[in-house]
Amino acid sequence: MKIKRKHSFSALLLPMYLFTILFVFLPIVYMIYISFMTRAEVWGFDTHVTLQNYMRILEPLYLDTFVRSLKLAFTTTVLVILIGYPFGYFMAKLSAKWKARMMMLMMIPFWTSSLVRLNGWVIVFQSNGVLDKILMGLGITTEPLKLLYSYPAVVFGMIYALCPFMILSVYSSVEKMDWSLLEAAVDLGANRRKAFFDITFKMTMPGLLSGVVLTFIPSMGLFFVADILGGSKVVLVGNIIQEQLTKGRNVPFAAALSVILMIMTSLIIALYRKIAGADANISGLG
Amino acid sequence: MKKNSLLSTIYLWIVTIILYIPIILTVIYSFNDNKSPVYWTGFSMRWYEELAHDRSMKEALINSLILAFSSCGLSILIATSAALAMRKRESKWDKIITYLSTLPIMIPEIILGMVFLGVFSFMNLPFGMLTLIIAHTTFCIPYIFSMVKARLQGIGTQLEEAAYDLGARPFRVFWDVTLPSILPAILSGAILAFAMSFDDVVISIFVTGASTNTLAIKIYTKLKTGVTPEINALATVLLVVTIAVILLSEITKKKEE
Amino acid sequence: MKKKMLACLLSAVTVVVALTGCGSQSKELNLYTWDGMFPQEILDGFEKETGYKINYSNFDYDEDMLAKLEETQGADYDVVIADDYILESVIAEGLATKLDTSKISTYGNINPLYQGQFYDEKDEYTIPYGAGIPLIVYDPSKVDFEITGYEDLWDERLEDSVALIGNYRVIEGIVLKTMGESFNTEDLDVISKAGEKMLALAPNIRVISDANTQDYLLNGEVSVAFMYTSQVVTALMENPDLKVVYPKEGLGFGIMAAFIPSKAPHADAAYAFLEYINQPENAAKCFEHICFFCTNKAAEDYISEDMKEAIVVPASISDGEIIQNISQEAEDLHAKNWDNFKVACE
Repeated sequence: MKIKRKHSFSALLLPMYLFTILFVFLPIVYMIYISFMTRAEVWGFDTHVTLQNYMRILEPLYLDTFVRSLKLAFTTTVLVILIGYPFGYFMAKLSAKWKARMMMLMMIPFWTSSLVRLNGWVIVFQSNGVLDKILMGLGITTEPLKLLYSYPAVVFGMIYALCPFMILSVYSSVEKMDWSLLEAAVDLGANRRKAFFDITFKMTMPGLLSGVVLTFIPSMGLFFVADILGGSKVVLVGNIIQEQLTKGRNVPFAAALSVILMIMTSLIIALYRKIAGADANISGLG
Repeated sequence: MKKNSLLSTIYLWIVTIILYIPIILTVIYSFNDNKSPVYWTGFSMRWYEELAHDRSMKEALINSLILAFSSCGLSILIATSAALAMRKRESKWDKIITYLSTLPIMIPEIILGMVFLGVFSFMNLPFGMLTLIIAHTTFCIPYIFSMVKARLQGIGTQLEEAAYDLGARPFRVFWDVTLPSILPAILSGAILAFAMSFDDVVISIFVTGASTNTLAIKIYTKLKTGVTPEINALATVLLVVTIAVILLSEITKKKEE
Repeated sequence: MKKKMLACLLSAVTVVVALTGCGSQSKELNLYTWDGMFPQEILDGFEKETGYKINYSNFDYDEDMLAKLEETQGADYDVVIADDYILESVIAEGLATKLDTSKISTYGNINPLYQGQFYDEKDEYTIPYGAGIPLIVYDPSKVDFEITGYEDLWDERLEDSVALIGNYRVIEGIVLKTMGESFNTEDLDVISKAGEKMLALAPNIRVISDANTQDYLLNGEVSVAFMYTSQVVTALMENPDLKVVYPKEGLGFGIMAAFIPSKAPHADAAYAFLEYINQPENAAKCFEHICFFCTNKAAEDYISEDMKEAIVVPASISDGEIIQNISQEAEDLHAKNWDNFKVACE
């Protein structure tokens, strides 16, 4: 019986293996392959092997861009933790009815186009926009604040786009937490702060970490946030890749940049696995 | 202990309101008579009228729904069966495949789109709904797979063992015991994946064909050329539909109870 | 209940997957260009008159279109409209059909001013559809000196108050113009110098964006904007007090044109469409909609009076220089200059 079961199970793996090999592995191999090629005259690439594309990444402009993207991703992630962790934590303490309602409220924005939502922020923050009109109407300011098209505006947009992921993953881990442990600690005389850091924080670490991964990785590549809220003045790796693929018509160089980015994000995931334990998942939302 | 203070309740509400500010403004500006969001020149329903007459928008919406449902459905099949199979024992290859399957959400979308374009044309696949579904399935799988896997780790195997011992056939066990317990994870993964598919522009724009526009592409290209009020009207309509569906399902749930 | 839903969903998916891929009508026209290039009225009118169903799909950048045509070998689309320089590449790669102008009875309506251009000197492959000149527009109530040329954009008084379009060849082109050079110079030293000069412009830049550049001027985010013709026209319609500058250093000039890809699946539909949009009344409606210069001579009489000044232009306008494809080294240097410039703007 047992042996029979195992057999039927391995067939279940087939679709995943086939699909992943055909439509994920192959394209990625293709990307790596292109990254070693020479760009063609008009479009595409010629099959002359070169390391030129990788050498070019070492130019200060591109190295700085990687550093800048990492910095932005780091800033975003820290702020998202500060905002999202308490939210997820408090949310898990709501009554069952309100939990469901809050969950709904968190999910609805996901169903509205992210571009439309970013555009909504432009309506708010633009010069003489909604915020300016309110502030000037109340006499708090006398002239338009120029809030958009700056680094802080991009950070704001990133936080806005990514915070829900942090909230959901922290929420799901606080949800599963065994509250009696915390109560026991307090009963035994631990003060609340110590009880929180020793018990709650430790137990919700997996959720926090998966939230970090879900925030950090996308924030390296969200080029449209930098374009819309940063007025194209904040240049991230994603923006360079996009520019090289379109106006620059340099597919091999864009591929090389992507390979490096992929390696970087893989290292971050590996680091995460190490900290969170071998069984950890990319999105621990479940 | 398990209760929020007033301060934390206020915090919850402030963040939620901030989350909704751009959405509320989108709704308000969908009634703006002026084409440009710079001016407010009075209340008008003209963008809704224009939307109602825009046939391409309706087609795009239908395409987006077909696409999101198909890629989610396909991902559910692939991801759930794989998660079930990997539950007992994970071989080295399983780990590698799992890692590979998460790559689509780690690589910038734009390069993925370009690479798909190259690979699909190499495979001679006709560009259109088929290529869209394949591309979207690649990035839907990780969301569903990771959730189902986490859930399976949580529930243990005792119940199923018991069912087998009582002589149930494997399919019966799956349908009556395993599936109900992982269904919430499948659904929450699918909801997220659905939203991601519905919202994707960058990959879609590369792999779509001549006669298949999706709504997200339409929104993106329209925002680029500046016709925003119609988009705002569309977003509002979709928002209303979403909320209506949620409320309806709540009501039916209550009735069932 | 939930299980039933899941079962329904999965069976629906199977059906849908099975259905897609098959079924394409023959009376179709696959139109591929930017969004908003035709008024709904024209699209509907064409469908009604000819019975073809239009599939209007969009690209974002000319280069995306080129990539798509390369990968499909020009077999998916019937009519494509794109920018001048990319047309040169498309034609060089053999992705465009030689037009049989006898199939387009309205071909004679086209303004010859916009024909015989570098990308298609013998007019074998393309039909112009709109032209433009990027110009400087400023708000005189906020700028207390007169702007006469590109050079004035460097003025210290404009700190943090200039909006630019995001096409780097155009922007670096105007830097080259202030140095008395051509847009299309391939001299790397000159381009590097232009890059350095451009860095000095950075403190004045408030925003770089290809989309809706006129809005920044209208809402007071910036006091000067350098933008595309359609945006100039839109800005002036909203606020007639704005001042338009034809920069003294020389003008840039660009043409959009339609072509039929080499393996267009519905070439007959494509000819019918090109004929339809070049009928004078129809063309007039199109150009009033896209706000670019009218490239159809016969349509000029049908353009409404208040738009005439903006989109019907005197012949001298085509003296402007067109941006063309240049050597890869020069192109790469431009891209690099541009990234350095954007970083300096932050």
